[in-house]
Amino acid sequence: MTQTPSPTDESQLAVQLSEVWKTFPGVVANAGVELNVRPRTIHALLGENGAGKSTLMNILAGVYRPDRGELKLHGRAHQFRNPADALSAGIGMVHQEFRLIPSFSVAENVVLGSAPSVIKTRQIEARVAAMADKFGLRVDPAQPLWQLSMGERQKVEILKVLWRDAQVLILDEPTTVLTPDEVHELGEILRRMADDGRCIIFISHKLHEVSGICDEATVLRLGKTVASSLDMATTDSTELARLMVGASPTTPDRPAAATPGVALLELKELSARGDRGIDAFSDVSFQINSGEIVGIAGVAGNGQRELADVIAGLRPSTRGSLIMNDADMTTASPRQRFLSGLCYIPEDRLGVGLAPRLSITDNAILRVYRQQRRGPFIVAEKALSYCKGIIERFGVRSGDVDGPIAALSGGNLQRLLVGRELDSQPSVVVAAQPTRGLDVQGVKAIQDLLLERRNAGAAVLMISEDLDELLTLTDRLLVMEGGNIRGEFDPRTASRQEVGLAMLADTTAISQP
Amino acid sequence: MKRPRLHLREAPLPGGQPLAFAIGLTIALFVGTLLLLGAGHDPVRIYSRMFEASLGSPDAWAVTLNRAVPLGLAGLAVAVAGSMGLWNIGAEGQIMAGAIAASWVARIGGDWPGLVLIVAMLLAALGGGGLLAVGPAIARARLGVNEIITTLMLNEVAIRLAQWLIHGPWKDPGAHNFPLAPMLPDQARLPTLFSRAHCGLLIAVAVIVISSLAVRYTAWGYELRIAGSSEATARYSGISLSRKILTVLVISGGIAGLAGGVELTGTADRLTESISNGFGFAGIIVAALALMRPSGVAVVALLFGAVQIGGQSIQTLGVSSSVSTILQAFVLFGAIGAGVFSRYRILLDGEARAVPEEVNQ
Repeated sequence: MTQTPSPTDESQLAVQLSEVWKTFPGVVANAGVELNVRPRTIHALLGENGAGKSTLMNILAGVYRPDRGELKLHGRAHQFRNPADALSAGIGMVHQEFRLIPSFSVAENVVLGSAPSVIKTRQIEARVAAMADKFGLRVDPAQPLWQLSMGERQKVEILKVLWRDAQVLILDEPTTVLTPDEVHELGEILRRMADDGRCIIFISHKLHEVSGICDEATVLRLGKTVASSLDMATTDSTELARLMVGASPTTPDRPAAATPGVALLELKELSARGDRGIDAFSDVSFQINSGEIVGIAGVAGNGQRELADVIAGLRPSTRGSLIMNDADMTTASPRQRFLSGLCYIPEDRLGVGLAPRLSITDNAILRVYRQQRRGPFIVAEKALSYCKGIIERFGVRSGDVDGPIAALSGGNLQRLLVGRELDSQPSVVVAAQPTRGLDVQGVKAIQDLLLERRNAGAAVLMISEDLDELLTLTDRLLVMEGGNIRGEFDPRTASRQEVGLAMLADTTAISQP
Repeated sequence: MKRPRLHLREAPLPGGQPLAFAIGLTIALFVGTLLLLGAGHDPVRIYSRMFEASLGSPDAWAVTLNRAVPLGLAGLAVAVAGSMGLWNIGAEGQIMAGAIAASWVARIGGDWPGLVLIVAMLLAALGGGGLLAVGPAIARARLGVNEIITTLMLNEVAIRLAQWLIHGPWKDPGAHNFPLAPMLPDQARLPTLFSRAHCGLLIAVAVIVISSLAVRYTAWGYELRIAGSSEATARYSGISLSRKILTVLVISGGIAGLAGGVELTGTADRLTESISNGFGFAGIIVAALALMRPSGVAVVALLFGAVQIGGQSIQTLGVSSSVSTILQAFVLFGAIGAGVFSRYRILLDGEARAVPEEVNQ
């Protein structure tokens, strides 16, 4: 299946990018990047967040224009002015955020924008079904999109680019929304497409997934190509990891075992409804003791987000009770909960945890401005020195503290938010997806802060989709699926497969139309 | 083919809004020129007359400032609500309610000393306008009823109430059966500053400055800005949204009511059906052009006052006063159109000028 890499003749390369430069105000995203992709292969594009992967692929897909550099497809030079140009040259991209219409059927979403002027639903559905069958993409073309899981929606996105006859498929971090089983399935689908004559560029920063799926890999670091077209069969993942992060990554030491104390947070048969008025989770019971990190694993949309909101007091519960520090908090306001020692790091950082249009200082003082008053006024010096303290202690790299918070990078936003929340020395911490989208140092910094809080005796609840993170960090691991706790694992002994199976409990049945 | 596209700037262009306003004014003058030429007038003569009548002399400035006062207060009323994402479309009615309340005080306190009477009238105006906003405020805060509709409908109620009072219980017996409210007592008139410019200017400036400072520097204003930026963040941090909505809408109504009181004691002799004079609706435009910032309201109100006064002055030259209305409309269109470019950049080649990857996450 895999061809041995040989010094290839230019015209044999399906995609050849050379000396690509792209700068944004203040940031050099690509500084002379090379990428060579041979036909009929799955090519991994590896790199940390901010390494320039997405920029490079957006250039290939016609979204950005490079400042400099050359783009050749099968030896012929191209210059794309917009995504339509790239698509007509056979390049299709599946973005991280899906661009689908929930009320449309699968087939309607697939043909959207390139549908024939007279839409014959059955005919189109039949063609979409035939195309899906060919590559093993199991979806029902007539099903409305909103009924689909994230994994199935991704298949619809892939069908969209196939429908437009793309020969080069770019998948931007395709596995973030998938369960381990679905990742495996995706690998098989991609292999069939490669065997059919296409080539696939697979953007990722998860090594263990890439090694099972891809033939070759190009590694970017800080906007430059550090390794080009490595043969995956002969390169081991330690070497790839070293290339990606620049130094040999130390496998994170399991934090010293906690000495759990009294129960600080206790849920008793708690239930709540989701935004659509349907039960998001029901009869959830567990407790977290002092000095303990409990993780909740699960595929997105299985009630974790709602659970975090209910604990924080942002969503009412319908049944059951919530005990915090021996006090019943079932109906307490978010502020009462905060005052009795709860802090909440919400999944939606910029829409819930922070006020996007206000300055860094304004956002930093959200929890303490009531103590900074003199008469009706907030004392500006107190606010400023508090903000600077947070920035310093939690390593936020920020420019002007009066500038809008939205100008900070993802990692710095999260450091500010987590710093602000932990600064109140909370006894109960609820963190929803606290490391999602951050780079290695950012992830490490946030994890360390949570551990530090645990060691200081707090009860920490960590909700994450990153199983590896949960397995290395937590003291106990709960799996949530379909709004229920499906099992409890000891992360020291549990295997990814075991936990993954629990995460999937019923979803395999759902994906069968 | 190069297709122009709009792309959101990371931050609004500094100084973009004044520039947009200037562009709007230019477009308005250009369109006005075409209209005047079409109607057979000499645009230069008309425009110079408009300028002279509005900004050409101390007397002209006095009239313009007197007009800018209610415009500015009404604009501030809308902007205060707008900074929290609420639309108070009821300033017109609240102005009327303020004027009615102030008239009522003048009726019972006809023999009070001037200063006491004026202060009492203005406080009553504040309360009257606020009172009219209480209903919409409670409905919005407790039940989520859209405040645009409730405030708009109450305009009609306030105007009918004024009509009933003028035609009925408050009709001046000495007015030979004309439907007129009695004249205000002499000591109820606001003292003048210079020419005909009255002290309402000081009141308006003070209220605008206090509001700006309150929004920018107080804990109350901080909570207001948080809630205006993201309701979810306000809830998250324990700021009571319903209480904020309630206070902000009532304050907004009160400021509009104050405009009615100032207009009554400053320029009108008595309560009339037309005392609100469209100021409440013009206030929406003023606030929109000031980007809902209390600090911007004063400047926009002054320019709008000048355009309105200038427009009235050219009626003696045989030009319809609707020219002024058309000019105002084009200032708005032009400025809002141009304002788009302070927030967006134009790209000619269809390339998405994106935020760098790191910031995007």
